[in-house]
Amino acid sequence: MALTGLDIYKQLPKTNCGECGSPTCLAFAMQLAAKKTSLDKCPHVSEEGRAALEGASAPPIKLVTIGAGEKKVEIGNETVLFRHEETFYHETAIAIAVADNLSDDALEAKIEEIKKLHFERVGLSISINLVAIRDTEGNQERFAKVAERIEKETGLSLILISQNPEVMKAALQVCGERRPLIYAAGRDNYESMARLAKEYSCPLAVKAEGLEELAELTQKIASLGVADLVLDSGARDLLKMISDLTQIRRLALRKSYRPLGYPTLAFASDKNPYQEAAKASVCVAKYAGIVVLEGTEPWQVLPLLTLRQNIYTDPQKPIQVEPKTYEVGNVTDQSPVLVTTNFSLTYFTVEGDIEASKVSSFIVVVDTEGTSVLTAWAAEKFTAESIAAAMKSQGVEDKVSHRKLILPGFVAVLSGKLEEALPGWEILVGPRESSGLPAYLKNTWKT
Amino acid sequence: MSECKVTFYPEGKSVTVEKGEDLLHAAVAARVYINSSCGGDGVCGRCRVIIKKGEVVSDPTGRLSDGEREKGYCLACRTTVKTDVDVEVPPESRLEEEQILTEEAKVSRLAGLYSRAEEIEVISEGKESLFTHSPLATKVYLELPPPTLQDNISDLERLYREIRRGGDIPIMQTGLANVKRLGHLLRESNWRVTVTLGKRNGTVEIVFVEPGDTSGKNYGVAIDVGTTTVVAQLVNLNTRQVLSTKATHNIQASYGEDVISRIIYASEKDGLERLHHAVIDCINGLISSLVQEHNLSLNDIIAVMCAGNMTMTHLLLRVDPSYLRREPYVPTANFVPVIRASEAGIKTNPRGLLSCLPGVSSYVGGDITAGTLASGLSDSEDISLLIDVGTNGEIVLGNKDWLVCCSSSAGPAFEGCGVKCGMRAVKGAIQRVEINSRYEVKYHAIGEGKPRGICGSGFIDSLSELLKAGIIDRSGRMKKGLETPRLREGEEGLEFILAWEQEAEGDHDIVVSETDIANLIRSKGAVYAGVSVLIRSMGLRFEDLKHIYIAGGFGNYLNIEKAVLIGLLPDIPRDRIHFIGNSSLTGARQAMLSYEALNKVKEIAHKMTYFELSVDPIFMDEYTAALFLPHTDMKLFPSVGEKLGL
Amino acid sequence: MPLELVKEEWMGKISEVTIGATKEEGGSRTSVVTVGGETGLSFLPSESEMPHRPVVAMEVWDVVPEDWPEEVVKPFKEVMDDPARWSKKCVDEYGADLICLRLQSAHSDFGNVPVDKVSEGVKKVLEAVGVPLIILGPGQDDRDNEVLPRCSEVAKGEKCLFGDATQDNYKTLVAACMADGHNIIGQSPIDINIAKQVNILIADMGFPLERIVIDPTTGGLGYGLEYTYSIMERARLAALGAGDKTLALPIICRVGQEAWRASQGKRERFSRLGHSFGTGTSVGSNYSCFPSCSRGRYPHHASSPGRGKCEADDR
Repeated sequence: MALTGLDIYKQLPKTNCGECGSPTCLAFAMQLAAKKTSLDKCPHVSEEGRAALEGASAPPIKLVTIGAGEKKVEIGNETVLFRHEETFYHETAIAIAVADNLSDDALEAKIEEIKKLHFERVGLSISINLVAIRDTEGNQERFAKVAERIEKETGLSLILISQNPEVMKAALQVCGERRPLIYAAGRDNYESMARLAKEYSCPLAVKAEGLEELAELTQKIASLGVADLVLDSGARDLLKMISDLTQIRRLALRKSYRPLGYPTLAFASDKNPYQEAAKASVCVAKYAGIVVLEGTEPWQVLPLLTLRQNIYTDPQKPIQVEPKTYEVGNVTDQSPVLVTTNFSLTYFTVEGDIEASKVSSFIVVVDTEGTSVLTAWAAEKFTAESIAAAMKSQGVEDKVSHRKLILPGFVAVLSGKLEEALPGWEILVGPRESSGLPAYLKNTWKT
Repeated sequence: MSECKVTFYPEGKSVTVEKGEDLLHAAVAARVYINSSCGGDGVCGRCRVIIKKGEVVSDPTGRLSDGEREKGYCLACRTTVKTDVDVEVPPESRLEEEQILTEEAKVSRLAGLYSRAEEIEVISEGKESLFTHSPLATKVYLELPPPTLQDNISDLERLYREIRRGGDIPIMQTGLANVKRLGHLLRESNWRVTVTLGKRNGTVEIVFVEPGDTSGKNYGVAIDVGTTTVVAQLVNLNTRQVLSTKATHNIQASYGEDVISRIIYASEKDGLERLHHAVIDCINGLISSLVQEHNLSLNDIIAVMCAGNMTMTHLLLRVDPSYLRREPYVPTANFVPVIRASEAGIKTNPRGLLSCLPGVSSYVGGDITAGTLASGLSDSEDISLLIDVGTNGEIVLGNKDWLVCCSSSAGPAFEGCGVKCGMRAVKGAIQRVEINSRYEVKYHAIGEGKPRGICGSGFIDSLSELLKAGIIDRSGRMKKGLETPRLREGEEGLEFILAWEQEAEGDHDIVVSETDIANLIRSKGAVYAGVSVLIRSMGLRFEDLKHIYIAGGFGNYLNIEKAVLIGLLPDIPRDRIHFIGNSSLTGARQAMLSYEALNKVKEIAHKMTYFELSVDPIFMDEYTAALFLPHTDMKLFPSVGEKLGL
Repeated sequence: MPLELVKEEWMGKISEVTIGATKEEGGSRTSVVTVGGETGLSFLPSESEMPHRPVVAMEVWDVVPEDWPEEVVKPFKEVMDDPARWSKKCVDEYGADLICLRLQSAHSDFGNVPVDKVSEGVKKVLEAVGVPLIILGPGQDDRDNEVLPRCSEVAKGEKCLFGDATQDNYKTLVAACMADGHNIIGQSPIDINIAKQVNILIADMGFPLERIVIDPTTGGLGYGLEYTYSIMERARLAALGAGDKTLALPIICRVGQEAWRASQGKRERFSRLGHSFGTGTSVGSNYSCFPSCSRGRYPHHASSPGRGKCEADDR
């Protein structure tokens, strides 16, 4: 159970000394509860206090790292069942499956396709994370060679799929240092797979038929000294997948059930590419740590990555849009220019209302660190100076031939200063609420 | 540089200003107080005046109609003088009466503060005497043994020795000015003197020495420096007796209604100066009138204790407040040392002391730490809540072990601002309303006379009654088509008439409009959401609250039942909700009368944890949930559900 | 040792809403649709029931849409000038479970067509198809209030689903639907509290909660989908866990509208990515399978770039 700020506060020295960087012990406790600071910063906490707090803070779902270096992938360590309760922390890793029996040409083509699967979205780069290499013929040499080549050419971390410990070992000999995920330890091979995982310090996937067997296996493997596990309940049918993934998450969080306190892996593979994308999207929403796809079509992958980005956005942080000048409709140099903040709800409201007005317009977005108009104004982030600076840096003067700027009605007080800060511009005070924009643009606006 | 004489009517007050000065500033200089919500930006249009004679230059404005312009109307803030001018200030542009005397105060909201404070005196006698009586300044009458060849220590040491007979005072200090006069003074007064001792930042200072016994004349003034109203209370420091209380509107309001506008104004040329002088003028006016009333001299005022929000404290001390509103919102100083009142420009005994109570953060100031002290919240094991409803609704939660606070921008609607027929709670303000099922209205205005407008408590009543009578729905929208002439389409949409023109003073009906209701719902929603977030953040529930203390503007007249019905206050047993009036003033007085209480305020400020709501993700959610009557979640308001038959 | 699964025991149940009435029931539909009735979270049959599959409605306008993307227009080009034929094509060729008729012609920018003519159009669509109807006003408060009561009257007995009742404008539509026995959509701008408030306001007028369907406003993928996603989860948790009847209602999502709102540039870029925009398939279809989104909602596939409503309270 997560401790509340007050629970934590009770274990702290209550001196309000401020040495931790927070003004009061209670403030520090709240930061700790929100996992925004660490107990180490408190120099005066008693031994008992420390023991009590550390015991309660062990993560119910283990954090597992796959790969090494910049492109390593972290999964697990989730704390909630629903994103609105807090947030989801570690994005579902997307893996593309590649069989090791492809011809060299086909393999090369596949690698090229995989290399293309990274995109820019809202100023962030999003991409797939892993390549899952599947042993198809039990050929040690081939498996190792394909693994080595893919790792080298894509730079991505790997999942090695083989039930044969000998084949697995061959691949680990060439790329074991970069901590690929070994897939998988099962009922019959778990001892040798666990040995490999230990030998190469790699994370190990555990595959079973059903949750009960899975829990038995993880306990046995843990007792062999392998700590970084990833779970596959064996479900392949979508309904069963949802059910198993949900149970694993619930058991770990609600019951602190350690045998299933690990991140999960799901195969979304399906012959129908639409179905596959749909299945994968379910897995992203409902608790998969890794989802493995066959398809490499950008139109399959981009929506999935976008969805992942959406679902894993911290619902507690204001979403921001990029501060720049946006065009709504078919703008000309006569189109009106409106200014607003970069809080995404504010921006999209304004954008929607401009669309509704059917008056093509420019929206100049000022960076207010994701705060709305009045909040930004009160905190001095939406000022005559910041608006004027945005107008200049975004080159608004070159986009329109008129010199009229529409200011949100709530900050009408800025109009005087803004006219000073933007010589030559006339500042028009628009409606207070965005919903007044259609009428304003249609009836009042004139160049 | 040529000068122009500006005369304001109907008072006929004149002032000489430089040519090119604007009328708003000229008015402030002439002590004529004109409305200006925007602080002179030409936006609010509330500072309209009429030019009767003389030449002026007016900036174009959309706030006046052509007809008005023809009649000579202009905006004071956008109009500069070219020649001598005569200006008429129409009633609607006027801040209400500059000073509310005690007599008048009996019929005003400020009377609420006044009488309430007196009641608290009685109620909290026990509480107040929890603190030892050790005022900021004490006077001791001493009869010194004259020096002899045997007892030949210096005059100053002799004085110290005698003072120390009364108690163990390790560190004492005296200024050079006192030392210079001492030898002569002691001998002139035949070694009988009264010494005033002040507590300054951990040491004891000999503030001054007077001949003879004046120890009976030891007075202090406790001041609540509010954004809208400044209240001062004259206290006998020896007997702890409250002599009287006076209030005045904070004339800084001419430069902007809320603290943000004033912080912005402070950054303009002469802005800080002007704001500082405005509030000091208010304080000096109050002190001098208190002193006159009791036939005292300013010299008898030895101590001043101020409690104000952080912006007010900064402006009072002429400290630049601009960092208060910038992230991460830190004040320049929380714990201001005790200084001489004269250093801030406050007129008392020239060597009198001034102390400002410490705050917690940019948006939680000394008024709240004082209120926390006064409520006794931090003395009890029980978890309690303090809500100070003002332009900013400040909320404190905690007990003797911990304290958290937040500030929620409620807006000035409950103070009667920003609402169509709103007014402050002075004579003529409707403060109680009843509406029956046939939509007939009964109301009661302050001062028994004809109504002029509606004050905060009147709006709370109205909202609750409109809802009960089914005139508005739970989102605050009026139901069209009801069979009553009182519901009609006004300029800004639907409105309900509380008082017809013929019953009212003035030439219009007194109405509550749909827009006003939306405004009031936002205000009450912000307060409730702040409370809710604070309680949730601590993992508590409303049921865990043993007491809720309500302080602030409408204290005396607030109908608890109706405030719960509209969802301003949580639905907990009514006997747990207490009104404590102007807790800021009470706390300031307590701190002035007891060094122990002052230290307690410091301790409160030190341990209180501030929550910044603007970055709190659940605040927005709680806020929207509270934008409903009484609330979106009726489970939180079971008694209201029963009453409304929901 | 057998593993003890964590099964939720919910106290609430989502209400069942039936849209459409057959001849025996006083209407003229040849099929009716029932949604809702869930007793738990989505797609967990071992712990709760999900008696009705999500259904798909297809959107038809009573005026030729001007700026719909070519990919959406293509399959309907021939019939778009006749809502009756357009509706018939949706049902006969694409198997639409319902028709969602938007009375855009009443919009002041789309012809401002008089009430009589608009309601005449509704009649024709009712005659042309046997499936139940969702009927949406043009989304302008004053025009909605003129047009929708008449259309409600014309469709009396058909148990249509009428929209939209919003916080700012619900009284007229609620009164009409109450008088004529229709169901109603309570729409809210991506806000759980307002979603609830709208339902309370509607119910406070005496309208049965069991005939309300929630439209929480669906942000498109990459355009705030996650907000809607969380609102749906929260609504369900409140309904099932806390027994909140005002949220225990089926949900309608207009995914197509949002999916096609993506700017032209985006769509072109997507085309370059190799996706063929075929008949009735949109980017939106990929996420219409969300477990917690898809219960009891009707993704309208073909849809308009339309009006996006998402008012942030800008304090």
